[in-house]
Amino acid sequence: MLVLQIFRNKRIIESTMDKGNPRELWEYMLTQVELSISSANFNTWFRSSFVVKIGEDGVVYIGVPSQFFKDWYLKKFHTLLLKIIRDVSYEFRNIEYMIVKDERRKPMKETVSAGRGALELPLHEFYINKSDNLNPRYTFDTFVVGSFNDLAYSAAQVAIQRPGITYNPLFIYGDTGRGKTHLVQAIGNQYKKQYPGRKVYYLTSEKFVVDYTDAVQAGTANRFKDKYRQYDLLIMDDVQFLSKKDKTQEELFHLFNALHDTNKQIIFSSDRAPVAIPDIAERLKGRFSSGMAVDISEPDPESRMVIVRKKAALHGVILSDDVVEYVATTLTGSIRELEGMVNSIVCHAQVKGLAPDIAEVRQSLRSFTRPQKSISVKNVVGRVAEFYGINEESIYEKTRRREVVRPRQVIMYLLREDFRISYPSIGTKLGGRDHTTVIHSCEKIKREIVVDTSLAKEIQNIRSLLV
Amino acid sequence: MNISIEKKIFSEAVYKVARFAERKSSTLPALSSILILAGDDGIKMRATNLETGIDLKLEGICMSEGVVAIPATLLQQIAGSLVGEGKITLEHSGDVISLTSGTSKSAIKTVPYDDFPSIPFPENPKKNILLPGVLLRTLFSSIAACASPSTIRPELASLYFAVEGGLLTVVATDSFRLAEKKVPLSNKGIQGTFLIPAKNALEIAQALPDGDVTISFDEHQCAFVSSQGMIVSRLTSAAYPDYRQIIPKDSIVEAVVLRKDFETALKRTTIFADSFQKVSLSFDPKRKHLVLFAKNSDIGESSESLSAQILGSDLNLSFNHRFLSTVFSLTTSESISLTAAGIGRPIIIKGVGDNSLLYLISPMNQ
Repeated sequence: MLVLQIFRNKRIIESTMDKGNPRELWEYMLTQVELSISSANFNTWFRSSFVVKIGEDGVVYIGVPSQFFKDWYLKKFHTLLLKIIRDVSYEFRNIEYMIVKDERRKPMKETVSAGRGALELPLHEFYINKSDNLNPRYTFDTFVVGSFNDLAYSAAQVAIQRPGITYNPLFIYGDTGRGKTHLVQAIGNQYKKQYPGRKVYYLTSEKFVVDYTDAVQAGTANRFKDKYRQYDLLIMDDVQFLSKKDKTQEELFHLFNALHDTNKQIIFSSDRAPVAIPDIAERLKGRFSSGMAVDISEPDPESRMVIVRKKAALHGVILSDDVVEYVATTLTGSIRELEGMVNSIVCHAQVKGLAPDIAEVRQSLRSFTRPQKSISVKNVVGRVAEFYGINEESIYEKTRRREVVRPRQVIMYLLREDFRISYPSIGTKLGGRDHTTVIHSCEKIKREIVVDTSLAKEIQNIRSLLV
Repeated sequence: MNISIEKKIFSEAVYKVARFAERKSSTLPALSSILILAGDDGIKMRATNLETGIDLKLEGICMSEGVVAIPATLLQQIAGSLVGEGKITLEHSGDVISLTSGTSKSAIKTVPYDDFPSIPFPENPKKNILLPGVLLRTLFSSIAACASPSTIRPELASLYFAVEGGLLTVVATDSFRLAEKKVPLSNKGIQGTFLIPAKNALEIAQALPDGDVTISFDEHQCAFVSSQGMIVSRLTSAAYPDYRQIIPKDSIVEAVVLRKDFETALKRTTIFADSFQKVSLSFDPKRKHLVLFAKNSDIGESSESLSAQILGSDLNLSFNHRFLSTVFSLTTSESISLTAAGIGRPIIIKGVGDNSLLYLISPMNQ
């Protein structure tokens, strides 16, 4: 029975495995190795290795942590591994072992271990700790460090190691969706873990304002003061919203002084540099920038790819490299939007039960990607003509053959709906037609889409071609 | 296998080798064992945790050859209980080894040694430097304390070795303080740098012999070879930060104090340091005083003036007292010089007449 089970597993893996994908190859090799050696041996020698790349000439490069591993692989496991990869394909000719830098190994390891997680949308993402307002989902483990934010990251580490001393206050600023909230919350979570007895509190400046006005109204301003002064680490998000709220600013100023004097760490985040926040008291500005002010700039494409891969892996979906690259480069917006895209892919993957390929991703991400405004009418005409297999020229002609009329109407509809071109100019560009003709075509397609699902699907497919 | 070794040699060897064995029990049993080999090239003990490894030669009589692996903790306990002069005999038959010393006799179950990994030697050991083991030992044990205890940044948790122009420079920093020590080398013309994990360096320091040691290194591995055997360690593969940038080039005040005075004054002042371990140093060039001051709201406060040679202007800086006291283990000079470059800038501490050491501490916020 057991043998049968193993045999079946092997068959399944073989049938679905992508031989050219180093990660899948390595996972397959692991399942095979695990059967042939003791678990102690397996844990010791195979936990921290991986396939780095598959060479053009059929050489598989396996990355190992140190010389010890390299020697031992050569001595003990070489024949076994060679036999396994030969079973996969005769294209693999040899195995070479290389000692790989520590940093490169770690992210790989994480994605592999997280890759087989439960395929379920976890609810705990929305869980927030009541006593300190921190969302446990934001940790440094899930925080991707790249060149765009490593200064902020290091400053955060120092602030945790020596709270209240080195960088007090720590002021983190950057455009929306760059990971400010993640970073400041991660600091809070890490701080809580490292110094169990101490008190952390996270809040947005908006909450602070509401709290203050409530306290003033209820005549409990003193209790308000005491409440905030007891914390060892205070994190205030989005302080730019304090602008024009003079009384609250004054309260924050006093709170700041009280905490700073007792060497309590304070962390602020904002969407702009302290000096650039409008309508905020000068003395508060000075205090914001008195410690360390670091900015998080726009993530570079490599970091975006790491982020996409990591977010997907957290949900237990492994994306192929071209999908990751597509997602990371298609949208130049914030990390938050990137996360939204990944969530949508994950959702699709869960419905279908397997990781989506690039075409499906294009399809499902249509709602995220804004069509390029610069796309030419000619380009749209060409694509649509190609899709329907007709001559591009015929679109511009006066012909009323059915196979041409439909595509022409679809083009008009797309140009109007997706690219917001005016009816008259659509008419002129498509062979000097009257704008009422264009209006009629658009209305017609719009009506038909509702009842004709195959037409709706066609248009959906064309849209994915245009992205 | 049948070998006979002096008790003292045996205990010392076990003590040295056992620290290289794996302490976690979850891995291969062979990794938490000591391998004893008796063969043509004498008796050897080996242990490795796949980060570091040791291969130690022992003096003894080898009656018959063989290989055996014995759990390290067990062997350590036995070695610790050996007293007096005399020899210990190890005889191996089947999967049991019997230890006989004087009137006692114990039989130990051995571990299969097939799984015991080979100890790798650097692939291309062209880069060799020769140093006395005593020197290397003090270098490791003093400097390694300044490396970062956290492994978040592996390069900071390592010692940086740079060989250039017949000079070996060893650096460690945890980003709050930095120690740099220079040692002249006998063989010139070799160049290279490597990073050895500070944790490994500390263990190696305990096992290095007094005599000459050859350090061979390549990209991933380094070996310490002596007449008694070989110790290898994995190297950190990362780029070390350009630490020279942070060393201030100018100074506004310099003080020279007697080491003895400074040490006792610091010890006393430290009692009053607060939870941030803050001790402040005031340079007073007019009265030629260096004042140490610490205040703790729960205990009280203390200040101490040392007579010192001070040149420059008034300055007051605060430091973590632990970082200050580290300097005493780094130098043996009778007098210590402190050079400050201003508020918020690091201070440089050196031993007077000891050009090999440079110790730098970042001040705390006032």
